Amino acid sequence: MQNGVPRPRLQLSWPAVGRRAPAGRCRAAALRVLAGGSRERLPEATCLTEMSVMMACWKQNDFNDKACAEEIRTFYDCVARAEKERKEKKDEYTLSHKGNMPSSTVNRLLRRFPNITRYV
Amino acid sequence: MYLCNLSGPQNVADASCEPSALFSAVGVRLAQVRWSRYNPSFLEPEVNKELYQKPFNELSEEEKEKQELKAVRPIKAAPPSISSSVFSDPMISKFTNMMMKDGNKVLARSLMAQTLENIKRKQLEKYHRAPDDEKETVECNPYVIFHQALKNCQPIIGLSNITRGGKTYQVPVPLKDNRKRFLAMKWLITECRENKHRRTLMPEKLSEELIQAFNNEGPIIKKKHVLHKMAEANRAYAHFRWW
Repeated sequence: MQNGVPRPRLQLSWPAVGRRAPAGRCRAAALRVLAGGSRERLPEATCLTEMSVMMACWKQNDFNDKACAEEIRTFYDCVARAEKERKEKKDEYTLSHKGNMPSSTVNRLLRRFPNITRYV
Repeated sequence: MYLCNLSGPQNVADASCEPSALFSAVGVRLAQVRWSRYNPSFLEPEVNKELYQKPFNELSEEEKEKQELKAVRPIKAAPPSISSSVFSDPMISKFTNMMMKDGNKVLARSLMAQTLENIKRKQLEKYHRAPDDEKETVECNPYVIFHQALKNCQPIIGLSNITRGGKTYQVPVPLKDNRKRFLAMKWLITECRENKHRRTLMPEKLSEELIQAFNNEGPIIKKKHVLHKMAEANRAYAHFRWW
């Protein structure tokens, strides 16, 4: 197993686990279809510095848009850039910032290339 | 059984996901009805007449690529609302549609025409009354006034409700262009409909509001400033955003 992919949890059968599985419930010793795991941390808000600069300018000039035209322009540019990045990143399969692949990405790949269970 | 794959990237090998194919295989509807039923390979129609009159050599790289793409891709049908006439303006069409009630497009269009005429009359009066050196500063083109007024009314930042720990906060959020245009037009129309005297006609009210917005004064500009002030007051919550 490579380092980037999370280890799938094996489902152990009743005699091996003992206390864990309740009586009568037999789980198959097979890999699950999708990877479990918590939702990865949500990304941070974009363009916060430009927004704060623009608001400071507004406070100084009594919310006059003509006086703050430069700051507003930089804010719009930042927003356009962030939107473009978000659109490009949406469909890619990238690793998270720690280096491992998040479970959402793994599950998307697993749904596209599922494990064949039956041969019809 | 042929099922159209709606999720994930479309394969080139996949035949076009036409509505007939979707219904014939299964009795259940698989595509959303309110979205576009065109295959993604369909291109938008080009309505700009000047583009076609340019000789091939003068086109830029992008335009040349677009022309070459049109030879291999199908093109969507042009909706009846767009036209290649010099008098048609997409912003004005959108505004007219927003003013329309119960589908009475004839009335909405006549109101729009009367509004533009009123703006022209008021500006001409101002022009003739102004001293000679100030005559050039008076803008008489109603279309220029309309576009500039709408631009002045557009909010730069909006507020969105985000719930954290049971409490709902108003978080300052950048707005998309469509949303800004919609808000500007909506404020204009609601202001004219609700906060004016009952017996004044809509073209009169609208022309007055548009000229005031053009000069950066009036109730709609004030509403925009109020929104900006609230966003500025709530700037501490900007970190709650995740996009």
